Amino acid sequence: MGDGPLIVQSDKSLLLEVEHPLADACRRAIAPFAELERAPEHVHTYRLTNLGLWNARAAGHDAEQVVNTLIEYSRYPVPHALLIDVAETMDRYGRLTLHAHPTHGLVLESSDRAVLEEVLKSRRTAGLMGDRIDDLTVVVHPSERGHLKQVLVKLGWPAEDLAGYVDGEKHPIALSHEATPIQGGEVKHWEMRPYQAQAVDSFWYGGSGVVVLPCGAGKTIVGAGAMAKSGTTTLILVTNTVSARQWKDELIRRTTLTEDEIGEYSGTRKEIKPVTIATYQVLTTKRKGVYSHLELLDARDWGLIVYDEVHLLPAPIFRMTADLQARRRLGLTATLVREDGREDEVFSLIGPKRYDAPWKDIEAQGYIAPADCVEVRLTLPESDRMTYAVAEPEDKYRLAATATGKNRVVERIVEAHPDDQVLVIGQYLDQLEELSAHLDAPLITGATTVRERQRLFDAFRSGEVSRLVVSKVANFSIDLPEASVAIQVSGSFGSRQEEAQRLGRVMRPKQDGRTAHFYAVVSRDTVDQDFAAHRQRFLAEQGYAYRIVDAEDLDSVQ
Amino acid sequence: MATFSDAVRALPDDALVALLRARPDLASPSPSTLRSLAARASSRTSLDRALAQLDTPTVQALEAVLALEDVLPAVRPGDVAAAVGATTPDDVAAVAALLAEARTRALVWTPDVADTALRAAPGLGDVLGPYPAGLGPVTGDPAPADLTDLPVGAREVLDALAWGPPVGTLPPPGTAAREAVDALLAAGHLVPGQGDTVVLPRTTGLALRGGRTHRGPALAAPVPTGRRAVPPAAADAEAASAALEAVRLVDTLVHAWEETPPPVLRAGGLSVRELRRAAQVLGVDERTAASVVELAAVAGLVDADSRSAPVRRAASWVEDDVDAPPSYVPTTHVDDWEAVGTAERWAMLAAAWAGSRRMPWLAGTRDEKGATRAALSADLGRGWIPRLRAQVLTALASLGGVAATVDDVSADLAWRSPRAVPPDAVVAGLVAEAALLGATGAGALAATGRTLLDLLTTEDDDPEKSLAEALRAVLPEAVEELLLQGDLTGIVPGRPSRELASLVERAADVESRGAATTVRFTTASITRALDAGDTADELLAELARRSPVPVPQPLEYLVHDTARRHASLRVGAVASYVRSADPAVLAGLVEDPRLAELGLVRLAPTVVAAAVPAAVLQSALRQRGLLAALEGPDGRPIAHLRRPPRLERGGSRELRSPYASPGAPASDGARRALVERLRVADGGGRRSPFPSTAGGEAGRIPAVDVVERTPIGERVVTDARPGTPGPGDALALLRDAVRDGGHVWLELVDGHGRPVRRRVRPLRVEAGRLRALDTQRGAELTVAVHRIARVEPDDD
Repeated sequence: MGDGPLIVQSDKSLLLEVEHPLADACRRAIAPFAELERAPEHVHTYRLTNLGLWNARAAGHDAEQVVNTLIEYSRYPVPHALLIDVAETMDRYGRLTLHAHPTHGLVLESSDRAVLEEVLKSRRTAGLMGDRIDDLTVVVHPSERGHLKQVLVKLGWPAEDLAGYVDGEKHPIALSHEATPIQGGEVKHWEMRPYQAQAVDSFWYGGSGVVVLPCGAGKTIVGAGAMAKSGTTTLILVTNTVSARQWKDELIRRTTLTEDEIGEYSGTRKEIKPVTIATYQVLTTKRKGVYSHLELLDARDWGLIVYDEVHLLPAPIFRMTADLQARRRLGLTATLVREDGREDEVFSLIGPKRYDAPWKDIEAQGYIAPADCVEVRLTLPESDRMTYAVAEPEDKYRLAATATGKNRVVERIVEAHPDDQVLVIGQYLDQLEELSAHLDAPLITGATTVRERQRLFDAFRSGEVSRLVVSKVANFSIDLPEASVAIQVSGSFGSRQEEAQRLGRVMRPKQDGRTAHFYAVVSRDTVDQDFAAHRQRFLAEQGYAYRIVDAEDLDSVQ
Repeated sequence: MATFSDAVRALPDDALVALLRARPDLASPSPSTLRSLAARASSRTSLDRALAQLDTPTVQALEAVLALEDVLPAVRPGDVAAAVGATTPDDVAAVAALLAEARTRALVWTPDVADTALRAAPGLGDVLGPYPAGLGPVTGDPAPADLTDLPVGAREVLDALAWGPPVGTLPPPGTAAREAVDALLAAGHLVPGQGDTVVLPRTTGLALRGGRTHRGPALAAPVPTGRRAVPPAAADAEAASAALEAVRLVDTLVHAWEETPPPVLRAGGLSVRELRRAAQVLGVDERTAASVVELAAVAGLVDADSRSAPVRRAASWVEDDVDAPPSYVPTTHVDDWEAVGTAERWAMLAAAWAGSRRMPWLAGTRDEKGATRAALSADLGRGWIPRLRAQVLTALASLGGVAATVDDVSADLAWRSPRAVPPDAVVAGLVAEAALLGATGAGALAATGRTLLDLLTTEDDDPEKSLAEALRAVLPEAVEELLLQGDLTGIVPGRPSRELASLVERAADVESRGAATTVRFTTASITRALDAGDTADELLAELARRSPVPVPQPLEYLVHDTARRHASLRVGAVASYVRSADPAVLAGLVEDPRLAELGLVRLAPTVVAAAVPAAVLQSALRQRGLLAALEGPDGRPIAHLRRPPRLERGGSRELRSPYASPGAPASDGARRALVERLRVADGGGRRSPFPSTAGGEAGRIPAVDVVERTPIGERVVTDARPGTPGPGDALALLRDAVRDGGHVWLELVDGHGRPVRRRVRPLRVEAGRLRALDTQRGAELTVAVHRIARVEPDDD
């Protein structure tokens, strides 16, 4: 056997042996061009993709570097065909460039006439480009810049966008390193964590793109850092109003921005300020068949646009965003996994992935709480099993997920954590109402008013309320810093993304360095168990392996 | 001056032997005299063959000899070397050596034994074409042309023709070019050719070329430029992984065909649909699948099952047309295959491939008639493929450690035998096969391929052993460990050993193959392992033994959960059962030795299953003193219990006259037929128009059904030979004869309505026609079956 830490498979997957002494060096060397696919405990799987290789080219790596890296760290000879493929794929990037022509405006220029002809002949590019200037140059309609880039990626000839960004309206923003806790208390000094600073730098160097960080790793601060670097007016797009408020609080706390400089553009308030936080929902609201709030995008000369939770970005926003190619764009997410598989649109419209770190690494550095994931398997009583067995297929999941025995299990888990802040998360409202009554804990659902939610969250944060039952409204961007135990009783089928977000609920670092606990209560031998297995795959691939415990043995869990 | 014939006759014995060795076609059939040997050696056919084996520099040298022998008084090796452009002493010596070799082959000869002056073999000029080396004919004075004083524009004309072809078209009159050409014609530097052409004479051509016949000697094969170098280790490693994959593909195919053997097409071969199915099973494209299928076939691992067809036909020939088509099935060679390791398996494939005449890449393409060529059909075989395979491997060997493309190989082959350039498609096909098999890696010939090439060129007692050793030398060390991970995946960090490979194939789904193997455990994969006979604990124990880390808890749960569900529903077969509402009644039944032969199994406290029919069970229980009621399929007691089984009888019952006697015809139609037959036998009806032949065979014809039943009728038939036996019988006789290749006497009615009797060998019966060979007349005839009056077997 050779001695490298890496095994290069001919199907373009790279297997990295974690315990190998060279593993860290190798990880750093391959990170620019390979996508981390799975990071379980012993062997991490990376994959070479066209997007990844083009990313690397965009970041200034060339094929030779990539090939040499692979050969250097590989344990076995690297398949020849793969090396050729890497070289050929990387060679495709940059044959086409988009840049600003002094007289013709935005143009697409090619170093290879055949490529340009191929692209022009394609039906997909019809209407995106204007007149030919010469053999190698063609005018591009500025409004189609994003769309064209998207199409070119699909055609396999990604364009290097050298047209630059508009500077945007200047607005000084700086990080204030003296953070004032919202609840009062003493002012604390803080600094950006090394990986956050790296993420900001990688983003800024690349111009536009996506930063992938686990939940609780401080994505907001990366956003704030990018804003400080940009020093321009900024539009921040978030998933919902609660999240918008949190962004606002955090920005006031972490930057020199004051409350007057930050506007909220949502269903209830329509403020446009130098820094404006808008929800996806308000942007996609249609009135009489037209998007009535699109003017927001042009309301100011934005210098930076931040997309929070970019993996949730609705398709209409993609289309609107296509027009914003001249502005810097920062996407923030915990996972680039989109259940709709539109990762390549993120690449072409927001930008390539600029920064990525495995969760376990950040956890190991102590920035996110270590988490203990437990799946509690509940054996259904005979009567429930019969009901389940004869149920219509479409009702089966609901039946299994809302099995009454789960209430008792949840109760016992809650009893096992008397001193912790506990969140109970579920999908089905009747089940949650029942649990809320059972545990004597307040319930937050989509029907709860924003004011009431805010009040309950504040109470939970302050420790006034120690148990909270929430529906899926809590999935995203609600900062619950001290939640250290989450109990999932039902989820939306097999969504891996949801599982990641829910685990994120408990992974904010704890002041006393306590371990977070994440329980999933699952009915044995039902579709509930199958879906749970699917959801867990994501976490297992992030290095969080589940322990499985039978509900009967629960007393032994502490 | 001696002639070629004289020179051949003057050759010493050793030289003659060498000649016959180099040109074996001269000795077959053996010539009667040396003179006829010489005549044959200068014949076009033999020269063509000899030239096909020559490489480019030898052909150059021969062209030079041909071009010079009419110009120079004597052509010596030095002249030839200078003419082809050899300048260094090494090159000159190399040219001389080539000429010596050409002499051995009697392609050049020396009229005077004492002198080295060379002449081309007679007929060589015809074979190499009218313009050797692109030089025109010798006209008039063979002295070198003087090109010092040329008119304006003439130099350009001459330069255009200098390196051949030496024929140009006359420019239109009145142009400057025409004037130059006219001047050259006048000076004798050009001569008029046929029609509107001019020809550059050889002397002028040679003068323009500076006395050379070629621009330079092509002594070495062309070296491709700009190809990525492949270190031998990389080539070997890739060849090894290709070899492993080839073995795996063949193994998968053999097992898939064991399960569902694909049918053989009527014309032979595998249908497109079956090939597609094989590709799907193997997870490769159809082209690769065709290669794998052919590889398995040449290695003798699968073959068309010729047993099934005749066996089945013999059993059911009366019904005819129900023959199940023969299919491709694994052969007994698979037993050997399964008994050995990967290297030996690969050796079986490689050794078979070395001698294979198959061109799998043609599968799925269309022939000249537009029909699709099927994999495994006879269309894909060519006798010259093994020779070309050796040449391709030789070319790859000479290209060395670079990622050679098909063009490089073709260029090398073109240099090796410029007079017999193989088609590019065939070269490409062979190169692709070599890569698939693992003879090459990353485009360069690997150690495995070199061994294969050695075996093709030299004798070896045990080629498979050498091949297996060659592969073993490049195979990476087998790995015994499987790293299990919490996300239900496992990784074999290298080539899995045979046992480990079988474990992961059985218990997990392979996600990625290559230098390492990654697998995922799923409910389905664990179920597969349990189906194969593993128990949950055995499986976990084996995984734990293989894994350097503890088995992750989720995997343990997966295995246990699956096992629990796997066995929760069980299916079996029983012949009858005993049930009772009172478990106490059934107590002791299963253990009772007196009831052992009933095969009792207790399924539940109240149910016992038995292996004997219900009636037997009931009486056995009665004997033991247990009164049991018999119940029907609906669970209700059956009143009448014991009734001996009745004879199975097909067909519908008819109402019969109470006066009917058994055996008599039952319908008027049948009666009329009987009467008619009786009348013929009696001599009163229509007489058979055929002249009677020696009797005796008639009894061999299966009789008509009515006749069979009545002894009287049979006698009648035997004596009087009915004119038209049942058409089904005639057909059956014909099909028998087709199968056995036997002869029959055929009585038929010819085009003029005359009865004819012929002895023929039937070839095929289909679509209502018989094709048969009339051996006496040596002609084939096709007869509509309805014109055949009688068929009699003839065993002579």
